[in-house]
Amino acid sequence: MKAAPASILGIGAVTPLGRDLQTIFRRLEEVPAAPVKRISDEILADPEFSKHLRRADRFARMAAIAAVDAWSAAREGGEWKVESRAEEEVSMDRVGLIVSSGLGPHGRGFKFLDGVLDCGDLEGLPTDFSHSVHAAAASYITGLLDLRGPSLSITDFEIGFENAVLLAQCWLERGVCDRVIVGAVEELGEVLIACARQMLGGKLGVGAGKAALGEGAVFLVLGPAEAGGKIKISVEEPVAGCDLVMVDDPAIPDQGPPPGAKRGQSFLPAFGHSASSSAFELLGGLLSMRYGEPRGGGVVDNATTFRTSCGQAIGLRIEKNM
Amino acid sequence: MPSGMPAAISPSVWISGIGAICGAGGNTGAILGSFAEGRRNSVLTVPFESTISCPTFQVSGELPVLPGRFNASRTLRLTMAAVKEAMEDAGIERFGESTRVGVCLGTTVASQLNNIPFYEAWRREPKTSLDPIYDYLSANLGRAVGEMLGVRGPRMTIVNACSSGTDAIGVAANWIRMGVCDVAIAGGADELNRVAMAGFWSLGVTSSQPCAPFDRDRAGLNLGEGAGVVILESQAHAKTRGKLCEFAIAGFGAACDAHHLTAPHPEGRGLDAAVRAALAEAKIEPAEIAFVNAHGTATADNDRAEGKVLARIFGDGVKFLSTKGFTGHTLGAAGGLEAVFTALGLRERWVPASAGFVNRGEDIPVAPVGTRKAIAGDFALSTSLAFGGNNSAVVIGRVG
Repeated sequence: MKAAPASILGIGAVTPLGRDLQTIFRRLEEVPAAPVKRISDEILADPEFSKHLRRADRFARMAAIAAVDAWSAAREGGEWKVESRAEEEVSMDRVGLIVSSGLGPHGRGFKFLDGVLDCGDLEGLPTDFSHSVHAAAASYITGLLDLRGPSLSITDFEIGFENAVLLAQCWLERGVCDRVIVGAVEELGEVLIACARQMLGGKLGVGAGKAALGEGAVFLVLGPAEAGGKIKISVEEPVAGCDLVMVDDPAIPDQGPPPGAKRGQSFLPAFGHSASSSAFELLGGLLSMRYGEPRGGGVVDNATTFRTSCGQAIGLRIEKNM
Repeated sequence: MPSGMPAAISPSVWISGIGAICGAGGNTGAILGSFAEGRRNSVLTVPFESTISCPTFQVSGELPVLPGRFNASRTLRLTMAAVKEAMEDAGIERFGESTRVGVCLGTTVASQLNNIPFYEAWRREPKTSLDPIYDYLSANLGRAVGEMLGVRGPRMTIVNACSSGTDAIGVAANWIRMGVCDVAIAGGADELNRVAMAGFWSLGVTSSQPCAPFDRDRAGLNLGEGAGVVILESQAHAKTRGKLCEFAIAGFGAACDAHHLTAPHPEGRGLDAAVRAALAEAKIEPAEIAFVNAHGTATADNDRAEGKVLARIFGDGVKFLSTKGFTGHTLGAAGGLEAVFTALGLRERWVPASAGFVNRGEDIPVAPVGTRKAIAGDFALSTSLAFGGNNSAVVIGRVG
């Protein structure tokens, strides 16, 4: 993986812990015990979006709200940019979008099937069908932001977000885009929850050896290194010596931090597991770097997620831009 | 520098193999035969139980038998048929352990968790067999193909609706240019599926007759199935193994409309930007494009918007066609198949008549080729438009 690190210029998230980043960070201190962590309808019913998202389902709403929040944060500067620099003028036809999801908008997909099964193949609802495709969320985002660069939706059950960030790095380095909005979104629909309960049995929950389920969206606005982000990100083989390694469950030897890591930490008991778990792990790491590690864990100057996929170790490394 | 490729461009991404399977034929040779004879293999049935009756383009004949759960996915079986042909064309029996091989494939159907028999059973009794879910989880296209081939490198599945196959080729070319991998398997695949059929029916964009892209009386699309795959290779890697390649990815561009979830921008704003970006990356002028394999779905909106863009960029005399009259709209496979057809056009130096086209319509400023046409030139373009508003274009150059 040879692409240069990208600068993080803005972050937006819609999580079971909330939407405001400082609120999310505070709530990381107290891991909620619920084994299924869904996002409140209140967060998704933001009146700011009521017109544009009136036909949108949970999946598209989570993605759109998080992406617009990330873009707003990048435009305002301050939080994530060096010297509170406001974002310089960027042409929207030079802004790309990559949306990753494992299971996509399956809730709307099953709603379309309800129409087909109840009323026949000739009677499915077109709005349900059009919203059931993975690319629907990206369409809402490009419409809301008038974003006219390349727009890509991808799917993977383990490392989709890593793939998305790597491609964003490539686009930035090759000058395909000046900015890339890159994000992950997962929805916990009724069918999926039931299937997961059946698959996991007693392993569904919070605690050692257990997994909670989560949903939400995490979006980053990335620019080239010189764009002035306080934190840079790259996809690479995880290396020893990081301040913080985010792993599924540090208590399980197979999933613990690689040799040489100073600390292992998982934020998934708070956010819940999903096909985009690493995006939420990364969010926890970013908030730890920005506000200090939860539970007084210390200063974090760099961190990495850690996944083994198809026999290869892969990580999202974040580091303070010195 | 091989003949045909101007020294001004740096064709760092070679196409060393192509493979395809669709309603027009089970491999590129059979497909060329259908093209040459103007044979349209649509049937007035759907390959599943449904109250919908309209023409479809189905793959006939045996498909590869895949190990374990992989075999449950017809989309994967179609994919592996095309991968096998492409690897043979590339002269690759198996990939070496030290070769970094990326897999980037587009699909729509294989990405959807919406299995009707499973859901029907689940609605009756939620504790139903989860086999269809495990099958679905096993059928992530990029991941599954990478696993079956035992290759080491990035794997990605693109779900950009109808531009997925073209986008997959663009991503894979990017990987190679950036040195992320040495070789990439790229393209798209999709099977005919009851959910997609009901969905397109609900949108009112299917035709009860064989489709007629760019025709005055076009009445909508026909669905099809298939897979189209290219093997991309860095110039250095191809040279190392002594492979002489015929084609290269000369340029790629993508841009979105920011207009509507299902309808293209009426003036083709995003497509215009995508085509210009692809030409710019190829460092060529529109006049150097020998022909365009257009998306041409035969829906009123698509063909009107696309025709306007082609006329605007390439002028009234643009030589273009839609191959969907031979294949139907194969959704996530379309971009992969049409990239293969574009390469075949350059190789054979002819393109078939745009099947289904008879009468020029007033709303489209240009007309596709009405008969088989000879091709002179070294570059051709393939375009894709998608649900969600994305548009993609790939320029393929002949290099040998």
